[in-house]
Amino acid sequence: MSTNNESARLDSCPVAGHEPSLASASLKDPELRAHPNEFYWTMRHRDPVHFDEGIGMWLVSRFEDLQAVFADPVVFSVEAGFKDSYAKGFFDEFKAILEAEGGGFFPDAIMTDPPEHTRVRKLMEQAFTAHRVKQLEPEITDVVSGLIDRFADQGHADGVSDFAVPMTIEIICAQLGIREFDPEKIQRWSLAVTAQISQMQDREAMVRNAKDICDLQNFLIAEIRKRQQTPQDDLLSDLIHARAEDEAENTLTFEEVVSLARALMIAGNETTATALGNLLYFLATRPEMQRELYEHIDDDRYTTRFVEELLRLEPPVRGLARTTTREVELGGVTLPAGAHMLLLYASANDDETVFECPRKFDMARKNIGRQMAFGGGVHRCVGLSLARMEVKVAAREFVRRLKDIRLDMPVEDVRYLPTVATRSIEHLPLTFSKR
Amino acid sequence: MSTVTVTLVQVDGEVITIEDAPVGESLMEVARSRGVDGILGDCGGGCACATCHVYVDPAWEAKVGKPDDIEEMTLDMVSHVTRDNSRLSCQIKLAPELDGLRVNVAPAD
Ligand code: HEM
Ligand code: FES
Repeated sequence: MSTNNESARLDSCPVAGHEPSLASASLKDPELRAHPNEFYWTMRHRDPVHFDEGIGMWLVSRFEDLQAVFADPVVFSVEAGFKDSYAKGFFDEFKAILEAEGGGFFPDAIMTDPPEHTRVRKLMEQAFTAHRVKQLEPEITDVVSGLIDRFADQGHADGVSDFAVPMTIEIICAQLGIREFDPEKIQRWSLAVTAQISQMQDREAMVRNAKDICDLQNFLIAEIRKRQQTPQDDLLSDLIHARAEDEAENTLTFEEVVSLARALMIAGNETTATALGNLLYFLATRPEMQRELYEHIDDDRYTTRFVEELLRLEPPVRGLARTTTREVELGGVTLPAGAHMLLLYASANDDETVFECPRKFDMARKNIGRQMAFGGGVHRCVGLSLARMEVKVAAREFVRRLKDIRLDMPVEDVRYLPTVATRSIEHLPLTFSKR
Repeated sequence: MSTVTVTLVQVDGEVITIEDAPVGESLMEVARSRGVDGILGDCGGGCACATCHVYVDPAWEAKVGKPDDIEEMTLDMVSHVTRDNSRLSCQIKLAPELDGLRVNVAPAD
């Protein structure tokens, strides 16, 4: 099955024909992960809450069933399955390595359920409101321009390693207040953390990743120590010293601060870098959209909608896990207690009962804001305004400065990172010329 | 006065009156903590998710005021259900002059 044909067929509406057999299909298969939309379609129509034998998880594929999950964050728990799905199969060994060499094992303070989740989450929400992020626009524009300047004259660059990855790292480090860092190390650390939820890690890789996470933690602990005595004007200091009006002590424990700094660094990186990779792929394969975007470059409503529809069409996060804390019915299936589920945000965004002609890029969609690239409910992405802003500024500055952006490789050679959690382009060689 | 009375009409028609809504909190926070149907507040008041969308009663429109540019942009993403009197309730901060405020909760679709 050629990629070109697939996208042409899915782009026409309505979706027709060919159904992959669910029994033999699994997200374990890299080919299927690279081109999953037919699989999603078949699930939504034939078996909306489908058990994937290959990865041992229930796949939730319909928009309405995901909404039911979001409405009950205690029955569909983030926390309950943590031990089973994190560092899958090697949890105790993984934990021991972090305790011995990484300053400790710090359970994720945001990967919890209400009511604990509510307390921690509130502190993070204040940092990333749409109004605060709007003030960062000039700073983000400077970072983006600086990166593009480095390769604009060359006529070619890798959209992922020369742009998407360094851009997101620079921005999140600036927010946290971390001034000195090695982008390559941070990229490695990010991959090591995301590998823990990828379901694809063998023991050898786990040990390697655990060592990288130790490095990351030691790095963050040093930065946190610097700010414990003398707070600075940055997010890391805000987290350390946050306290409610009626509290005598800081709200967050040291362990919680480390875990949140780690979460921000990683959650904000891999996902946004993936979104930027998707943006560049999209522009490079749709020259007419480069022109249209250029014509609307200073129209904020246009660029905002452009980004939202892109996130709907190509959601960076394919799906994340939940575990049932009791027997419960979902989409006509009775799930036992302790069932591991993967919430397929990518399939919900493809659900034709909510988004007409879902494979079509259509910025005029009225309900564009219902798209689920950022999840939903109490765990809805806390960094969503920052993420949108980063993608918007990148889109704007790329077409403002460069034209004739093209893929410098055959479309069918595009490869994705080996993970079920995201759908991330690995390398994206591009050519272009300066405007 | 440190509290005000606000009334929200749910999509199903049920009328919820909150008599001790603290001044200084947002309408979203107050409604969410009372479990008003349809006010989810996913982004915690960040003006980014539009899950706290209400229609302001015409009698109150002038006092509540219009959305700013950022709020307009978020409302634009749910334009299948917006009206001239649409506001995000997380951006409505309760103040003494809003005592008696009445809004209708907007449907998700
Ligand atoms: C386009 C880029 C991004 C995408 C697609 C994305 C997607 C998501 C999704 C789907 C979730 C829901 C998790 C769940 O359902 O369990 C989430 C949560 C989260 N995201 Fe993002 N994200 C992005 C960027 C960011 C950025 C820039 C930050 C930080 C500055 C961030 C921080 C977080 C955090 C801390 C959570 C956990 C929230 C919670 O559980 O309450 N994300 N993100
Ligand atoms: S709570 Fe998200 S926009 Fe109001």
